[in-house]
This record gives sequence, C-alpha cells and structure tokens, in this order.
Amino acid sequence: MIFKTLFSQFLSRPATNRFPAKYMPKSVTTFLAQVQAGRDEIHPPVSVPPRFRGKIAYAREKCIGCQLCIRVCPAQVIEFKPAVKKIRMHVARCTFCAQCVDACPVNALSLSPEFLLADTNRNSPALTVE
Amino acid sequence: MSGWTIFGQALLVLVGGGVVGLVYRGLDRKIAARMQARIGPPIRQPFLDVGKLLVKETVIPRTAVSWLFAAAPFLAVLASFTALLYLPLGPFPPVLEGHGDAILVLYLLAVPALAMALGGFASGSPLGVVGAQRELVMLMSYEFPLAVVLVAIAWRLSVRGFAPAFSLGTLAAHPLWTSVGPLGVIGLAVLFLVLLVVTPAELAKIPFDIPEAETEIAGGLMVEYSGTYLALFYLADAVRTVVMAGLVVALFIPHGIAAAVGLSGAAASALDFLFWLFKVFLVMVAAVTTVRVGMARLKVDQIARGFWLWGTAVALGGLLLLVLDKVVRG
Amino acid sequence: MREKNRQDPEDPVLPAVEEARALTCGVPEAGLGETFAIPIGPIHPALKEPIRFTFRVRGERIVGVEVRTGFAHRGIEFMGMRQGRNLIQILYLSERICGICSVSHPIAFTQAVERAAGIEVPPRAQYIRVIISELERIHSHLLWAGVAAHELGFDTLLHLTWRVREKVLDILEELTGNRIDYAIPIFGGVRRDITPEQYPKIWEALRYYRGLLEELLDAFLRDPTVEARTRGVGVLEPREAEELCAVGPTARASGLRKDVRQDRPYLAYPDFEVKALTPEDFGLTPLGDVYDKMVVRLLEVRQSLDIIERALEAMPDGPITSLPKIPALLAHLKRAEGEGLGWHEAPRGEVIHYVRLVSGDESPLVWKVKAPTYSNLMSWYPMFEDQEIADIPIIAASIDPCICCMDRVHLVRSGKEETWTKAELLRLSWEKTRRMRR
Repeated sequence: MIFKTLFSQFLSRPATNRFPAKYMPKSVTTFLAQVQAGRDEIHPPVSVPPRFRGKIAYAREKCIGCQLCIRVCPAQVIEFKPAVKKIRMHVARCTFCAQCVDACPVNALSLSPEFLLADTNRNSPALTVE
Repeated sequence: MSGWTIFGQALLVLVGGGVVGLVYRGLDRKIAARMQARIGPPIRQPFLDVGKLLVKETVIPRTAVSWLFAAAPFLAVLASFTALLYLPLGPFPPVLEGHGDAILVLYLLAVPALAMALGGFASGSPLGVVGAQRELVMLMSYEFPLAVVLVAIAWRLSVRGFAPAFSLGTLAAHPLWTSVGPLGVIGLAVLFLVLLVVTPAELAKIPFDIPEAETEIAGGLMVEYSGTYLALFYLADAVRTVVMAGLVVALFIPHGIAAAVGLSGAAASALDFLFWLFKVFLVMVAAVTTVRVGMARLKVDQIARGFWLWGTAVALGGLLLLVLDKVVRG
Repeated sequence: MREKNRQDPEDPVLPAVEEARALTCGVPEAGLGETFAIPIGPIHPALKEPIRFTFRVRGERIVGVEVRTGFAHRGIEFMGMRQGRNLIQILYLSERICGICSVSHPIAFTQAVERAAGIEVPPRAQYIRVIISELERIHSHLLWAGVAAHELGFDTLLHLTWRVREKVLDILEELTGNRIDYAIPIFGGVRRDITPEQYPKIWEALRYYRGLLEELLDAFLRDPTVEARTRGVGVLEPREAEELCAVGPTARASGLRKDVRQDRPYLAYPDFEVKALTPEDFGLTPLGDVYDKMVVRLLEVRQSLDIIERALEAMPDGPITSLPKIPALLAHLKRAEGEGLGWHEAPRGEVIHYVRLVSGDESPLVWKVKAPTYSNLMSWYPMFEDQEIADIPIIAASIDPCICCMDRVHLVRSGKEETWTKAELLRLSWEKTRRMRR
C-alpha cells in the first residue's frame, strides 16, 4: 500500500512553504529592521517567475491620457484625472488581469512581481498608484 | 501499603498519565504530519488545545438532555484515568494491584466509548445520533476479539500455574513467549496482531473513526461538544491511548532491558521505566499513527463484518493454536 | 401550480427522471421513528461549496434525497448583460465564474463571441489555448483526486496529491503569470505566447508527471481501503446517465463515449483526434460507480499529457492573435451583430456559452452560461439511492461538483412545488427573449 511512500517522506523536507517568522513578531517593522541589519532571519517568500502578474506599475511620464485602459478594465480600478490627463489606480479592486497593460498604446503600464499587498486601509498610499 | 502511600502513588500516576498522554498525542500529530510532507504542530500543541478549550464557552444545545450531555465527558475522563491505576508501568506494578484485574480494565476501556455514545444520543442533533449509533455498533464488534485475546493469554498463564491469572501485574511479570512451543509462538503472534488491529478501533482512529467521521457527519457524536466538555473528552482520548498501548505492552512485550545491561536497583528501575515509555510510544506509532495516515475510513458495516467474522475467527485461531500447543507439549 | 406526473405524449418524461422525482417527493412520511431527515449543508465539511441536501434515512440507508441550490448564485450573467460592460470586461467576469475550471469559461466565451462577430483565430493561438486547457485539466483532476481522498478520510492522499499538483500550477504560473485565472484567451487569439525558452520547463513538468502517474494510479486505484469505499458505490447506470443528460467524466464512467473534443472538435482538437475515455480503456467493465469515475479522471490526466506533448511538437508558427490592437478589437466588437455558441470540454464536462450581440451596443443582448455541473446535478439522485450515510460525501464529490459554475436562482413561491415540462420552458424562454428585445 502507501506505507513505503509514507516512510520515505521522513527523508525529505516537508513541502510546506514556511511563514517569514516562526512566531508573529511584536512589531513587524522592528523585526524587518533586525533582518536588514542581519540580526535576525526570515524565510523569504516563494520566488515568482518573470512576467508574474503582481501589482500594477505606472510610468507616468509616458502616459498620454487616452483612457483606453479605463475602457477595458473589468473592475473599475482606474480613475481619470482630467486636469492633468493622467490616471490614478486603486489596487484594492484590481483583479490582475493585465488587460490595461495590453491596451496601453505607449506601454506606460506593466505588472510588477510585487504581491504582498495586504493592508488594513483600501485607500492607503501603498494601494494607490498614480 | 498504607492508604496514604497508595493515594500518593495514584496521584503521581494520574497526573503523569495525563501528561504522558498529551505528549504522546503531540508526537502522534507531529509524526503523522511528517509522513504527509507537512511540518505539523509543535509537540506541546495538545496542552495548548486543552488549555484553550478549558477557557472557552461551553454550549449546551437547547434540545439536548442536559444532565446526560454534561455527565458523559466526566464519565469518560474518570474511567480512562482510573484504568491508569491498573496498568503495570514497566518495572513498577499497578498502583491498585490486587484490587482489580484485566477484566476490570477491559470494562474501564469500554466506558469512555459508551460515555461518548451516550453524549452523542443526548446531544439532540441528528448527526450526533448517527455517530452514537455507529460507536455502539463498533463497540459491539471489537469487544469480542479483544476479550478472546485477553482470555487466551490469561488461560495460558493459569495453566502454567501463575495466579491470579487475570491480574495485569502477573501478566506483565510472566511473558509467555519463552514458555510455549513453536505452535504457541505463532498463536501468540496472531493474538498480538489482533490486539494491534483492535487498538485503533478502541480509540476510534482511522480506519475505524466512523463515529466521528469528520467529512460525513461533521464530528458525529462530538459535534455538539465544546469548551470544558470537549477538553475532557480530548484528555480521555489521550489517556486511553496510553492505557491501550500499555495493555498491549503488558500482554505481549513486557520485557525489561535493565537486567541485560547489568544495572540494578534504582538505576535499573529508571531505565526499565524509560524503556516502557518507549515501547508504549512504539506501539502507538505502529497501531495508531501509521495506520491512521495510511488508510481510508471504513464504513460501519464493513467494520462490523470485519471484526465479527475475520477478527473473531483469527483471534479464535490464535487461541486454538495456544490450546494445541499445550496439548502437544503436555 | 401544476399537477405532478402529468404526461404529455409529445414530451414524455423519461424513466430516470421519473425515478429521480420519486426519490424526492414520493417517499411516504412513515410512522414516528422509522425515518428521519439529515441535513447536509449548506455548510458541511463534506461540501466544498454551499448546496443544501436533505436526506431521509432509515438507520444508515438513504431512502430519499432533496437538493436545493442557489447559495452561490452571484448574478454574473446579469452583471455582464445589464451593467454596461463591454465584451472585454465581461471576459474577465466569465473567467471568475469558477476558480478551478477558470480557463474553460473564457475559452467557451471567446469562441461564442468569435462565432457571433466573425473573428478568425490564427492556428498558433488555437494550439496555445489547447495547451493551457489541458494543463488546467491536469490540475483540476489532481485537485479532485485529493478532495475525493479527503472525503474518504484519507487525508494523506490529499496532502501528497496536492503537493504533486504544485508542479502544474508552477508551470501555469510560468506561462501565464498566475496559478489560477490565467487571462490567456482574448477575442481573436491569446494574449501571451509560449516562447522557446519555456519549452524545457514544460517538458520537465510532463516528464515529472509521467514518472508519477504509476504511483498515483497505485495510490488511488489499487489501495484496498479506497477500493472498499468506492467500488459499487454511487452507481450511475448508462441508461440513467443518458436520460439524465450527464456530461464529462460522470457520463464517461458509465461507459458513454461522450466528449465534446471528440463529438464537435473545436480549437486545435481536430488535429489531435481526441477519443472519449471510459473505464474500458483501463481494462474494466464500466459500472458507473465512484471507482470508475476515479479511473476516468486519472486516465484523462495521462491523455492530457499526451495532448500537450503533441501540441508542443506540432506548434505552428504565426501570430498569436488576429486583432492585436485593442481599439480595433473594441470597434469590431461594437459593430458586431449576431449570435454565437461556444463550447468546451471542461474538466467536469461540457460547458456552453451563448452570446447574442447587437450592433452599436458594447454589451451583449443575451449571455447565457451552461456549466457542466448543471447537467450532472440530476445524476445525484440515482447515485444516492439505497446508499449509506457514509457514502454521501464521496458520492457528492464523485461528479466533481462546481456549484459556483452551476448555480442558478432557486425560486420558492409559497412553498408549493411546480413542475415545468419542456414545452413550458420553451414558452418561458420565448417570453424572456421578447422582453429583452424591447
């Protein structure tokens, strides 16, 4: 039966991707600072392949204000700023479909590999791209 | 032995038994996790679980028979902890030696199952009722092979002249492997196997965990239990594991190693006790952990048929072999 | 309110349907204590998605079953038709109808729109669509195998199978940018190419799975406890499967050779001559029980590996989409008029999207989705009949229910049961079309 497979699992590492730290640190920012200074260890997040669809990145200088991205976005993420003819994006609504990236005629949009986007405030600066 | 000495020893065994039960539960979860390519909880997790459950709110359903619902967990805990007092602990005889024997232990092992079934019936939930029905059917199925194994060993001992034959202390002091011929050795091995198969059924673990089937009846007879009552059932289950494994060790592998190593006195007792703990751990890994990780859950009619037909036949076969061995050797 | 059991000679009620109906309404309310009702769901460890079962049981035997749906209905078609979305936006709605069969819906939807709007798709794009669909089939069947093991109480197989599934998810992430919701199909082709640098990784994943296939088959099909729990359980006879319109592995396990890739080839499937797989291809006589459904799904994993290999070898060169510029695509879609049907053999069976486009309007006039589980729902009734409570989770899981794909609104008017015949349903649909045209 399956017992041979079961016992051979002892010889290999568990398949679990571990949390960054074993226990929740009292302060995440302090903990991350310690890690930067080399005084503490962190399990790095699993690496993502190239062309992974993460948080949207916006090259504002290239944008011409054509609003094509707004027309194709399924989640109404993008807001037009008529005064400056640029856009503002609310990442909290984004479905990471990258249709806006395809639509943009000047390649002002791309999807970065960043995916650790959890936040307590939907409109926080980390979740607004403009 | 003065009453106070017994009381002191009993307290030590009860507390120690609870601690060992929970530690072994933690080890069981850790090993099972590693076999499934997971990290698993820390070994102290059962302590955290019991502690957490003790502070949580205990909810008694409105449609439940509340006195029975509340009494069942206490009954289960009392019975399983009392069984500890009749268990030989390696080099140390049972605390209540002479005040009860293996038959009593058999009953004490059955009481928590009955208590859980009563609790399931009293819970007022159809899922609890189904779970309780299944527990009773399973109880009736595995008790017979279990009894046959015990009777076979005790009979063989009594024939050899050791008395009282059913006392677990006597059983542990005189392992039969060397006193029987080849037929008897096969018979004893068969009985050992039957007892190992009965162990997960007794403890309601996969493949025999149908009373509590998580995916079918969402916890079955435990479905309405919460808070303190659930903590008590958890403790009872952990201690029952130690008792059952201890029973297996006492009947079949009670041998110590201190004599072979050449120690004596307190050092020998300590070593033998640790060895006993290790044997109990091994029995638990073989009969509970590995089996629950490597098999699917069987249905109640399959379990009943399996134990009533195959379990009984094989156990009786083992008994027959022991009888034949005695007849052959005269 | 209509009387039950009214027979129309033009539209006879098939025997299997009659038996299913008897199972729900025909069980007499026996004396006190003879049968009792067990509710399973909408929240239950056996169910991955909310659906309400009520079983009438006598001891452990099931004597009646009733299914109520509607818990996962989100009004997606309404959102597509009435909230002013254009077809590109609706494409991503369709992708999110289901997480597990997430590329099946866009593939059917893009085909429907392409047929309605007369958009050609280059051959390379068809091949890429086939490769992604087959990769999804592998991931979905491995997911199902793990879930079925969990329903049987065999959690180890769940953990080990899902760990094995990580490889195909990693490949999909490499190719498409995400593990689920691949955003690959677009009207006129696909959005990303499979570059030659990615080929070695795909080959490696295929080799990995081929190496593991025998072990998977061993663990699921030759384990005694799994066999004890799945053989002879939840039997769906071929006649019942045919009359209740079962699709996908549910129908194929009963021996029906029904596969959309074989019956009405689409995308690049004509080049592969896909054959519907039944347990006969494993050397068994099809019974239609849960074991046979396991056999069919595991064999389909192997079939998908073969198809992906052949697709990679025979991949034609050329553009990956016929309308690469989004403004041109949007304009073409806005001008388009007509209706189109798109179909796909999702891991669960046949999924159909129907679209009706009107010139000058960016939203479709009608968008209708028929998910495979919707066709398989009725097969639950004969499968549950005369089984035990212990079999409920595995039988429910055996059709691989994807309730979120399937869910339709369930109206309960004043508690009375209504039965609609085919003629009445047709009349209702005509009324609905008339309302929409206004």
